[in-house]
Amino acid sequence: MMDVGRHPRIRLLTYSEVEDVSGHVGNFRVRVRKKARYVDEKECTACGECAKVCPVVMPDEFQMGLSTRRAIYIPFPQAVPSAYVIRMDECLGDNPIACGKCLEVCDKKCINFDMQDELLDLEVGAIIVATGMDVYDPEPLDEYGYARYQNVITTMELERLVSAGGPTEGHLIRLTDGRPPKRIGFVQCVGSRSSDGRGNPYCSNICCMNTVKDTLLLKQHDPEMEITVFYMDMRTFGKGFEDLYMQSRAAGVRYVRGLPGEVVEDPRTGNLIVTVENTTANRLERHELDMLVLSVGAVPRRETEPIRQLLTLSRSRDGFLMEAHPKLRPVDTPTRGVFIAGCAESPKDVKDSVTQASAAAARASTLLNAEHIVVEALTAVVDPQRCTGCGACARVCPFGAIRVPAKKEPAQVTAAACAGCGTCAAECRFGAITMRHFTDQQIFAMIDAILEERPQDVFVAFACNWCSYAGADTAGTARLEYPPSARIIRTMCSGRVDEDFVLHAFKKGAPAVLVSGCHYADCHYINANRNTVRRMDRLWTLLERKGVRPERLQLEWVSAAEGQKWAQVVRDMERLRASVTPEEIAHTMQVLADVP
Amino acid sequence: MAAKDRFRCMRCGHEWEGEDSPDRERVCPRCQSNSVRKLPHPAPAQG
Repeated sequence: MMDVGRHPRIRLLTYSEVEDVSGHVGNFRVRVRKKARYVDEKECTACGECAKVCPVVMPDEFQMGLSTRRAIYIPFPQAVPSAYVIRMDECLGDNPIACGKCLEVCDKKCINFDMQDELLDLEVGAIIVATGMDVYDPEPLDEYGYARYQNVITTMELERLVSAGGPTEGHLIRLTDGRPPKRIGFVQCVGSRSSDGRGNPYCSNICCMNTVKDTLLLKQHDPEMEITVFYMDMRTFGKGFEDLYMQSRAAGVRYVRGLPGEVVEDPRTGNLIVTVENTTANRLERHELDMLVLSVGAVPRRETEPIRQLLTLSRSRDGFLMEAHPKLRPVDTPTRGVFIAGCAESPKDVKDSVTQASAAAARASTLLNAEHIVVEALTAVVDPQRCTGCGACARVCPFGAIRVPAKKEPAQVTAAACAGCGTCAAECRFGAITMRHFTDQQIFAMIDAILEERPQDVFVAFACNWCSYAGADTAGTARLEYPPSARIIRTMCSGRVDEDFVLHAFKKGAPAVLVSGCHYADCHYINANRNTVRRMDRLWTLLERKGVRPERLQLEWVSAAEGQKWAQVVRDMERLRASVTPEEIAHTMQVLADVP
Repeated sequence: MAAKDRFRCMRCGHEWEGEDSPDRERVCPRCQSNSVRKLPHPAPAQG
C-alpha cells in the first residue's frame, strides 16, 4: 500500500466514495466525493498528540471492538496516508466550550474544522473494481452461542488477539477472565455450505486454510495448547496447502469430522461444553474448551452494491460480482472497460487476489495502450428515418449505450458501450434498430427455412449464445440422447427474441416454440433476460386471446453446464409438439394471420 | 396489503400466488419449469 501511495503515476484517493459513473470504455467520467478528514493529510506527522487529548472514546472497528479509539484517529496502523482523520459525527466540535482540545495540542496546525467534502471529476479509460468482501455475522447460528458467550469468538477476532498490533499486543487471552486459553476449538463452515437459510450455500474458500494457519500459529505460541478443529470437510486444494494441513496434524491438532450441535457455557468457569457427533468414529462427544473460534465465511460486501449499479455489472447467484466468462474472460465484466479483482468477485486468498489483480491490471493496461478500441461487429444500429425517438430502446439497454438526445430525436448508440444483446431491437416497435449479424431478416429467414418442409415434425428453439446454446453443446458432448425435433436459432441473448419472431414461427406452422436463455444470475447482459419474461407474458396473453393454446410457447433457463436439463427440456418439448394436431396448427395459422 | 401476483405454470398447469420480483427467477414449485406466466390481475369490480 505504501508503494502505491508513493508511486508517481498512481493517485490514491482514500476516504472517498464514487458517486457517479458515466461514459463508456476508454472515456469514463467518474465523480468522486473526497470526504473532509478535517486534518491536512500532507501536514499531519501522525504524532498522535491530538488523540491523546480527545475525550471521545469509541469502539475500534479495526480491532473488532476489542479495544477503543478516539474521534480523531488513524483507522489502522499501516493506513496510507499515515494521517489522522476526525469522525465529525462523533466529535464534540471545535468550540472551546465544547472541546477543541485537539486544535490546542496540534503544533503543525493541520486540523481544520472548516474543511469541506471535495467533488472530483475524473476521466479514466478503464475501471477495476476491487471492493473486497465482508465476513458472515454468526449471531443467527444460536447453537454456537456467539451472542451469549464471551469466550466464543470469530476468526477475525482471533486474528486481532494474536496480532502484535492487536489490543493485547499478541497475547491470546480469554475475554471473560484475561487468562491464556489452554484448550481451543475451531468450528468450520460457519455461515458457509449451509442449506437451512441461516448461512450461505457456497464454500467460502479461505476458511479451512485460515484455520490450519491459525492452529500452527497457536502451536508456535504454546506447543502444549490443545486444539480441536470441528469440520465437515477440510479443503486443502492449493499449492503447499496439504503440507500445511499435515504439519498441523503432526503438531498435535485434533481434527474431528462433525459440526457442534450445541455449545453451553459453564457459568462457574466460563468454559464451553461443546457437544458434537464425531461422524468418523460414529459417536457423540463432549469437549470442554476454554475458547471456541468460529471460522466465519465470506459474504458480498454491502458497499459494493451501489458501485455495481453505477457500472451496470451483474451479480452471480451468491451475490458476488460476475465475470464476463468464467474461463476465457475471468477478470472482465459484461461492461467493457470494467474489470474485477479480489474478493469482490468471489472469496479468495491473498495469492489468488494478487493473481487476479495482476490480470485485471494487465487487461486494463492493454486496453489503455491500444490506439483504437475494436468493437465486435454485433452492435445495434439505429435507422434515423424509422426511429421516432420514443426512447423504449434506451430504457431496456442494460449498458446505458443508447440515448435519445432530445424528445422525438432519433436514438444514438454508443458502439463502444453496446454489448450486442439485441434487447433494444426486440423492444423497438418501429423496426428502427438493426442488430448486426443478427438482423430481423436473418432470423425470419431462419424460421422460414426451418418450417419450409413438414413444419409439424419440428419445433423452433431460440437459444441464447452464452448459456442455452452452450447447454445444448454440453448435452451433445455428453452424448445425452434427446429427440431430434429441435431446430435451434442462436441469438446473443434471449432478450433479442422479438415477439414477432415467435408469432412468425406460429404463423408458419410451428407446433411449438421454445425460448431459452441464461438463468437470472448468469445473464451475460446484466438483466436483459428480464425483458424476455415480460415479452413472454405478453405473448401468452395474446395467444390465449386468439384461441391458441398458450402452452405451446415455453420458456426455460438453461445454463452452459445444464446439458441434462437441456435434454429434458427437449424431451418435454417433443411431447408437447406431438400433442399438437394438424387442425390446431391450421387454426393457429388462420387466427394469427391478421396479427401484424 | 399489496395484492399478490397469481402465476400459472405453462408446462404442468399448476397455479399459485406469490410475489413477482425482477431479481428472482420464476419457477413452478411443482414441476420446476421456468415457463411461468404471471396472470393478469382481474379488473376491479364496478359500482
